[in-house]
Amino acid sequence: MSTPAALDRREAGPPAGVAARAGGLTKTYGSGETAVVALDAVDVEIGRARFTAVMGPSGSGKSTLMHCLAGLDTVTSGRVWLGDTEITGLGERELTRLRRDRIGFMFQSFNLLPTLNALENITLPMDIAGRRPDPEWLDRVVGTLGLRDRLDHRPSQLSGGQQQRVACARALASRPELIFADEPTGNLDSRSGLEVLGFLREAVDRLAQTVVMVTHDPGAAAHSDLVLFLADGRIVDEMPQPTADAVLERMKRFDGVRKS
Amino acid sequence: MLKATLRSFFAHKGRMLLSALAVVLSVAFVSGSLIFSDTVSRTFDRLFASTAADVAVSPKEAFEQNRGFSSGLVPTLPASVAEDAAKVPGVEDVHLDVEVDNLTVTDAENEPLGRTTGPPTIATNWYVSDRSPVELSDGREPAGAGEALLDKDTADRKDIGIGDKLNVIAQPGTFEAEVVGIAKFTTTNPGATVVYLETAAAQRQLLEKPESADPEAGDAAPATSVSVDAAPGVSDAQLKKRVKEALGGEYAVQTADEQAKSAAEELGTFLDIIKYVMLGFAGIAVLVGIFLIVNTFSMLIAQRTRELGLMRALGADRRQVRRSVLTEALLLGLAGSTLGLLSGIGLAAGLIETMGLLGMNLDAAEMVVSWLTPVLAYAVGVGVTFVAAYLPARRAARVSPMAALADLEIAEVGRPMRVRAVLGSVLGVLGAASFVLCATADRTRDSAVYLVGGVVLTMLAVVAAGPLLVRPVIRVLGGWFPRIFGSVGALSQRNALRNPRRTGATAVALMVGLALVGGMSVAAASMTKSFDEEIDRTLGADFLVQSDNFGPFPREVTERVKDAEGVGLVVRQRFAPLRVTLPDGEKTSTSAGAFDKELDKVSRLEYAEGDTGAALAPGHVGLQRQFARDHGIRIGSTLEVEFSNGKKAELTVGALTKQETSGGFGAAGGFFLGMQTLEEYLPGGQEAVVFVNAAGGTDVDRLRASLESGLADFPQVKVRDQADFKELIREQIVVLLYLVFALLGLAIVIAVLGVVNTLALSVVERTREIGMLRAIGLSRRQTRRMIRLESVVIAVFGALLGLVLGLAWGAGVHEVLALEGMRAFAIDWTVQLAVVIGSVLVGLLAALLPALRASRLNVLAAIAHE
Repeated sequence: MSTPAALDRREAGPPAGVAARAGGLTKTYGSGETAVVALDAVDVEIGRARFTAVMGPSGSGKSTLMHCLAGLDTVTSGRVWLGDTEITGLGERELTRLRRDRIGFMFQSFNLLPTLNALENITLPMDIAGRRPDPEWLDRVVGTLGLRDRLDHRPSQLSGGQQQRVACARALASRPELIFADEPTGNLDSRSGLEVLGFLREAVDRLAQTVVMVTHDPGAAAHSDLVLFLADGRIVDEMPQPTADAVLERMKRFDGVRKS
Repeated sequence: MLKATLRSFFAHKGRMLLSALAVVLSVAFVSGSLIFSDTVSRTFDRLFASTAADVAVSPKEAFEQNRGFSSGLVPTLPASVAEDAAKVPGVEDVHLDVEVDNLTVTDAENEPLGRTTGPPTIATNWYVSDRSPVELSDGREPAGAGEALLDKDTADRKDIGIGDKLNVIAQPGTFEAEVVGIAKFTTTNPGATVVYLETAAAQRQLLEKPESADPEAGDAAPATSVSVDAAPGVSDAQLKKRVKEALGGEYAVQTADEQAKSAAEELGTFLDIIKYVMLGFAGIAVLVGIFLIVNTFSMLIAQRTRELGLMRALGADRRQVRRSVLTEALLLGLAGSTLGLLSGIGLAAGLIETMGLLGMNLDAAEMVVSWLTPVLAYAVGVGVTFVAAYLPARRAARVSPMAALADLEIAEVGRPMRVRAVLGSVLGVLGAASFVLCATADRTRDSAVYLVGGVVLTMLAVVAAGPLLVRPVIRVLGGWFPRIFGSVGALSQRNALRNPRRTGATAVALMVGLALVGGMSVAAASMTKSFDEEIDRTLGADFLVQSDNFGPFPREVTERVKDAEGVGLVVRQRFAPLRVTLPDGEKTSTSAGAFDKELDKVSRLEYAEGDTGAALAPGHVGLQRQFARDHGIRIGSTLEVEFSNGKKAELTVGALTKQETSGGFGAAGGFFLGMQTLEEYLPGGQEAVVFVNAAGGTDVDRLRASLESGLADFPQVKVRDQADFKELIREQIVVLLYLVFALLGLAIVIAVLGVVNTLALSVVERTREIGMLRAIGLSRRQTRRMIRLESVVIAVFGALLGLVLGLAWGAGVHEVLALEGMRAFAIDWTVQLAVVIGSVLVGLLAALLPALRASRLNVLAAIAHE
């Protein structure tokens, strides 16, 4: 339970603790000669109440990393912890519960159930769990994302940006330990994209949430606290306090590596 | 384009599977019933052709007797006919035939050998000719009285062997016979239980000598017919002419072809009924199949909107798109028809096997597949698929090239349903009007026609308007889901509401079968209640003595009843098949009941005019007022009546009853007359019912006991009080009802496939959505429940539509029955409740695989799916 005092953690200094951690994380697809190594002994820590971006060229393993950290995918070897819980080795049922109660998701598209209105979509994970949302927190999330007068709209009545904001609110509503966002701005125009990124930033700054975002847009990555660069299944670099230009420069070097 | 079509067909073959199954089932039913009836009629044609004598001489019968109301009289001819026939030039051989079916044969345990329903028990005389359908497979021929052969099928079934004793309860008297041999059918055994006796013994022990027998015929015992075989070089027709000349016009003389033809005709009516009933159900299966196919194609096209748009963008014109979809339908139809035809052959084989269990041994038969069967199979299979795919194909052709570019979800969801609303209301109003006409019509036939019209119109109305009813009904139906099943319940309800067209079409397919079940059950319940009331109102006797199949029994039974201790009054009833020429010139074949004159003491007939005494007086007759009115008959009218032995009489109408039930089909007019009148014209029949009243001061239970012990030798008859009699009637109706339910089962199976289909395709369509739900924490079990609840709500929706429609149809059927005098209306709520509960089970069953599939969905693959 966060108290209002704990919310402005950014001002309170560097983040305390680790939200998720992986050690020797390896993921291979197939076997024998056709085996593809998606993740190659990755060690990573995701800082609590921070906004981490994961970047890398296509096929670098960034989505796989996110899926493994979120308990969506099984690992070939290595261990993954969410907080103090080791999630490698958990059964399907425990993983489902873990995702439901402790993790929030945002996807590139098809984020919302077309049959439910915005509010119902936002509270869906808690409804599934049979828990009541904390009304104060919910109100705060809805307010922060500017969705107050859109709550009874169906997804088809909302713009793409509004839909993604609803998805963002859904990820935040259960106050998860970790939010994973997979290309959240990929399907949005630049203005809506900026808006959504702003909200993610605010979720970290004002609501003390932890966000991990996979993207290949340097501009989006620039909103994060830390960028992790992946290539060929390994974390090859990281960049604190990134700017769009710096990220772009770094990404160009991947192209160079590949061309040579 | 064709290549693309073929690719698409094979790419979607999994999704086509259930539609194909519907085609297969429909076609299988159509072709199976055709093959079965062709096989049976061919088999019997052969049997008749091979066993008929070149020329047969038999007593003249005025008209075909109605088997349900047999007089129990065996028409005979004197044995001298055989001697006369033998003298005719060109005759090679003459045989006397004695064959009766008005008897019961029991084993040592006093159990009848024959079955209560179905094929009869026959006793006949044994002689061997090249026409015999049987051969002696074991033992020896019967050499005199007290010896018999038994057919092998019965012997095997009843475990009777050589040396066992049989009891033959024949009209002249019961006698015992020892089985000395077993006769095996070399051709098809039609299922009868057959006992063979030595000819002289058969003549003496099976046949009564007619009282009016010509004294000059001397002591020669009668026969039932004479078989005459032609010498080589003499044709059947020539022989027939000569025999006829020699014998005069007193007897019926038929060639082998004519005998086979009349036998086949008799059987043909029965086979036709089976055939049309089965084709009727095949029709329902086809109808339900159409819904399923329409739905599948609509869904496939909705899913492929983009692909079709791309084809249009690349330059395919509308006709090409439409043709492409129709080609897929054609392929589906061809594949389904082929499999259906093969399944139909299997189904026919199964039916033949079933007939074997019922006693009709068709083992020797080879299956007949006439050219018409495959033609019809393909016509039905391909035709149905084509028709069903036509609308979706047109819709596909309307997909704009823009669809390839736009990110449309499902294009058809939002389309307004104004056309459906208008069509549904118009059809509904017409249907309702038809039902009103049905209720107000005076004649049964008109009323029945309006009923059929009303049924078809209201069904089409619901088919058209079904999708419109989805929202309001499912809102209410699934309204409590969220409260009980939480958000999973809410999701299910919303999913069912999501595409009303699809939900509607799926539910409507289920509705058709269930509406028929509901309607039939209302009709059956109303009939039962009417009969119950009728029995209460009119039956005054303490007991009825009657056989289980309502058939006549030997007169000795009546003697035993009269002799039983405590019996006060006995009133006999016989049936007399009649042909009546009505004053309006119409001729009607019916059956009259003949009663002893104390009828009033065992029955409470209500008369409009006249009384029992007047109706039963010699030379008089009574009938229903309504029938009399319809045909211009009044008290005192004379009716020209012909009995089954060809005797004609002028009977005076003595009384008109208020009786409303006609007493069963084939007994139009409710004619009844005095036993004395019947004996005068048609002597020697058997009683079908004996009414018994206790003597003063005798306890009915004591009477029952004494009757039962007195009748112990006649296991085919039972002593029944009113309650037992009601139960007997009820059982008859229930058996019929279950038969209909079993056949409707097929329509329901197809409808269930439809629900499976809809759910399976919905799961595919919502792959991403389900993946997302799983990602954010919906457990596998919750996923399964979500699909299951959606399925249940669709099924229950279908069941409710079906029930409402079924009740309306049942009420319509009741209006028709009321014109036949069955006025009571009753609803069997257990059946209605069973339908609703059954539909929940259907929903759960249908959701089994789709739910499993949804819950096993690979979450990562689902959210990455593009």
